[in-house]
Amino acid sequence: MKSAAFTRYALAAALLASFAGPVAARDLRVNINADPEMIDPITFSALIAGDVLRNVYQSFSRVDEKGNVLPALALKWTAHPDNLGWRFELRPGVKFHTGRAFGAKDVKASFEALLTPGSKAGLQLQYLQRIVGAKDVQDGKTKDLAGVSVVSDLVLDIRFTAPDVLFPIYPFMIFDTQVVADKGPNWFMQVSAGTGPYSFDSWKRGQEVHLNAFKDYYGGAPKVDGIRFVIVPSEETSVTMYEAGELDVLMVASTDLARRIMRDSRLKADAQTVSAAQITYLGMNQNLYAPFKDKRVREAFCISIDRDAMSKGLFGGLAQPLYGQITPGIPGYNPNVRKIPYDPARAKKLMAEAGYADGKGLPPLKIANLAPFRNEIAYYADQWKQVLGVTVDLDIQERATFLRSLNAGETPFFSWGWTADYPDALYYLSQVWHSKSPFNRARYSSAKYDELIDKAQITPDNAARYKLYHQAEDTLLDDWGTCGIFVRTNVAVVKPNVKGVTLAPMRMLPYDKVTIN
Amino acid sequence: MSAYVVRRLLGLLPVLAAAIVLTFAANQFVPGDPVTVMLGDQGGNVELEQKLRREYGLDRPLPVQFADYLAKLARGDFGLSFRYPSVPVTQVIRDALWISPSLAAAALVLALPIGISLGIVAALRRNTLADTGIILVLVAGLSIPNFALAAFFVWIFALKLGWAPVAGWTSWRHAVLPVALLAIPAAAYLARLARTFMLEVLQQDYVRTARAKGLPERLVVWRHSLRNVLVPILTVCGVIFGTLITGTVVIETIFNIPGLGRIAIDSIFARDYPVTMAIVMLFTFFYAIINFIVDVLYGIVDPRIRISR
Amino acid sequence: MIGRTAAEAISEGSRLAEFSRLFLANRSAMLGATIVLIAVVVALLSSWLAPTDYARTNMLFVWEPPGDDFVLGTDALGRDVFSRLIVGARVSLTIALSVLAIALTVGTAAGMAAAWNGGWIDSLVMRTADITFAFPELIIAILVAAILGPGILTVIISLSLVSWPGIARIVRALVLTLRGELYIDAAIVCGTPPTQILLRHCLPNIVPALIVRASVGVGFIVMAEATLSFLGLGVQEPLPSWGGMIRDGLTALRTDPHLSLAAGAALGTTIIGFNLLGDGLRDLLDPRIRER
Repeated sequence: MKSAAFTRYALAAALLASFAGPVAARDLRVNINADPEMIDPITFSALIAGDVLRNVYQSFSRVDEKGNVLPALALKWTAHPDNLGWRFELRPGVKFHTGRAFGAKDVKASFEALLTPGSKAGLQLQYLQRIVGAKDVQDGKTKDLAGVSVVSDLVLDIRFTAPDVLFPIYPFMIFDTQVVADKGPNWFMQVSAGTGPYSFDSWKRGQEVHLNAFKDYYGGAPKVDGIRFVIVPSEETSVTMYEAGELDVLMVASTDLARRIMRDSRLKADAQTVSAAQITYLGMNQNLYAPFKDKRVREAFCISIDRDAMSKGLFGGLAQPLYGQITPGIPGYNPNVRKIPYDPARAKKLMAEAGYADGKGLPPLKIANLAPFRNEIAYYADQWKQVLGVTVDLDIQERATFLRSLNAGETPFFSWGWTADYPDALYYLSQVWHSKSPFNRARYSSAKYDELIDKAQITPDNAARYKLYHQAEDTLLDDWGTCGIFVRTNVAVVKPNVKGVTLAPMRMLPYDKVTIN
Repeated sequence: MSAYVVRRLLGLLPVLAAAIVLTFAANQFVPGDPVTVMLGDQGGNVELEQKLRREYGLDRPLPVQFADYLAKLARGDFGLSFRYPSVPVTQVIRDALWISPSLAAAALVLALPIGISLGIVAALRRNTLADTGIILVLVAGLSIPNFALAAFFVWIFALKLGWAPVAGWTSWRHAVLPVALLAIPAAAYLARLARTFMLEVLQQDYVRTARAKGLPERLVVWRHSLRNVLVPILTVCGVIFGTLITGTVVIETIFNIPGLGRIAIDSIFARDYPVTMAIVMLFTFFYAIINFIVDVLYGIVDPRIRISR
Repeated sequence: MIGRTAAEAISEGSRLAEFSRLFLANRSAMLGATIVLIAVVVALLSSWLAPTDYARTNMLFVWEPPGDDFVLGTDALGRDVFSRLIVGARVSLTIALSVLAIALTVGTAAGMAAAWNGGWIDSLVMRTADITFAFPELIIAILVAAILGPGILTVIISLSLVSWPGIARIVRALVLTLRGELYIDAAIVCGTPPTQILLRHCLPNIVPALIVRASVGVGFIVMAEATLSFLGLGVQEPLPSWGGMIRDGLTALRTDPHLSLAAGAALGTTIIGFNLLGDGLRDLLDPRIRER
């Protein structure tokens, strides 16, 4: 049987050809649940890419696990007297992975690269909008960003059209723009151009992203050879890999897996938990579902959910009730925010007053979300059935459809979340509930709320600004314009021989201090 | 013979054409907008949306998009991925290209001898305890879903016994459990077929004659029956290979193997049309090629088929 | 082969008796039939059999192990697994039977039309079937699910789509052989309309083959539905599906295995039942293998 022998030979060759090289022993191995969405700092806009790239690229400042802002590429920043600008004094002795020295001109060049027409810039673009001259660069009128002036090698002045008090904490990714000229538009797959503790080495799609330790890192060279982000979409597989010693750090994405880990004594002993910087709320669009115009209906739906029972039951204690719209640990959080009670009797009464006793007279209603969150909305729907007598159908949508409809403001009723990208309550308040924000997906609109937020955005004094946040949040809550449900707890499992891994509210801190024994 | 081969080759064309048209059409009906996907959770930037739509040619009329698609396809260019902005589809699937077919082929090579011998043994011992036992095992092998069996296998062989790694794709050992899991239903299916064909053959007149002549049973089985069992089994190898290839979708997801099957699922959920189109076409292509090879082999072993088909 | 003469038609009664005798003697077929019967009865009576509402959540009793209060325990939302399993039987079988009904109707009609008319209708039907065959089954199902979005309707449509060509082929082949029979010729000569010939004279003769095909097909359909639900493309919450329950229980397999195990056992047993029944029926109804 010649053909069978040939088949076997071809097969062996094919199998061998598809295997990668041996695994280095001293890499830190971490799972990510999908390929990063992108690997370059310009288009950066998504969570998994962030998990990787925060180790490669840095901003003026960084955040510790308590939410404190620490200096990174800038040592010091001071507001201009008229509050329309900042002066940054940059850290000396910082080197790019490319070997060039980092300086003020690189910050300016990075901003210009983001604003260049056709750059497809992602998340960072919105943080540049108030810089003087940003619009001109974006429109292609000039290449020079007028509002950013290089005072000296390490001193930078940035001017704004309106005050931007949070500018120093925005998570930029400053890079060596020279690489674009040297290597062309696909540079990021060939070289690493950041200043972080690790440099980009390779990305094998569907398999792994590998980073090398950066020997010249200003904070001291990392103690491991590199980081191997292993791409593992299946959660069950990831936990088995951790148990078999194929992973050093297990990042836990879903509630189901988090629960399972806390029920397993060996895994629980290795687990780190921290309350996430992520709100989960109900979006009730008053324009699309008429009964939601009635405040009593909004309140009734909101107080029919038993947040305590849900946190303990469905989440096995790995969540806490969310009453306001700011997560604990984020500057500007109000610890005294009014609690939302679980009050079936009052909920029934409110519905009856609104003319919908036992759910009679309500038009059909569906609550939309994505498949991974089906358990949550299944619980809400059952509560509304039991408490209010209202049948709410589950509308599990496909991700792209769901997001498009949300962004277009076309979803009458949904449950969704919002994750903070910088440590300040304004991130939630201005982006999710200001009537002008594209991310105000429930299309909530309150003139009083907008006014308070607008005022907060130009208030440099922290205490005064936080007070405005609290007033705005109370306005929103008194109107039952939103309905906070819970704050998830981030969970990661770390092998006992690995030290220096820190889980923070805004996901994992960079791995610059990691050691493996 | 060569005329037969050419005829079979020409027969592939409508299938491939249908694959191209259907995948293109299917992706037009798919809900969800790729640009929204590209922008992710941070969508809403109308200018950026329009720019991307222009760059990817999504603002042009459908026939133009299709013509452009065909022209590029002829050059082996599947276009740009939607999920990874500006990355060619070929780059996304290049490394994965041979993984799914290799897994499927390995499983087939493993399943063929096991399945056929089990089936023949069962047929020779028809209606005995051995036969019933084999049948029950076979039916179970066909009936227990792969995804359920996989969890059990990983637990026993990877975690408890440590014979094979849990997941990944860095050494040949990573292929052991996936290939075994793929081979189980295939072997069961083959065994059932082999049993049926063998039973048929054993009732044929020439086998009865051979027996009546007093030929030893072994000779009857090997010389007169086996060939007539193997030939029909050869014809279903193409179908089995197709099932195995699609089986890799589930297996690759569970074992974290970066093959076409897993990329197919990922790309469908990510609305990465060009990648989905490319993979469906490749799957169809592999399937068609295997069926072509089987047809040719069939033509060699059974010359009658060259004329009749 | 499966053709029927007038004399055979008269002996219908004795054939049925003979069939029953052989069937009852076939142990594995009987086992299959028993399993299928139980599954069908459970599905039919699911509303009465389920001890609680399958959608009823209870945050105080999540992931309860099997015990006195919950026979098979509860899931992540404190829902009764036993009730969900029973309703899951209804969901699975409803989908399987819908697919079967559609595929049998479409496949039989297409196969008959192709065989009777020949010409371009035959080419059209058979080429369409060929092309459908050229696509791996799961790929078609996944593509349809991607277009229509996940849900029961998606499962039914996509599985019908991949199931009809096989039936059309069988029907076409059988009708072609039947056309050569004398009594069909007689009917044509008498001027009987083609639809009547096909329905009255041909259909009864291909029913045995269709029954065999159907009972084997159900196993495949139930499995495919579970696979689609496992991949998240099938039945949606709060309606239970065995495939979905297995997936939901998978992450908790080693701490709370009851969910995955119960659903896996139900699914596996049901498919085994249909396969055993199908095999048995084939052995009995397909005369090529019937012992003489």
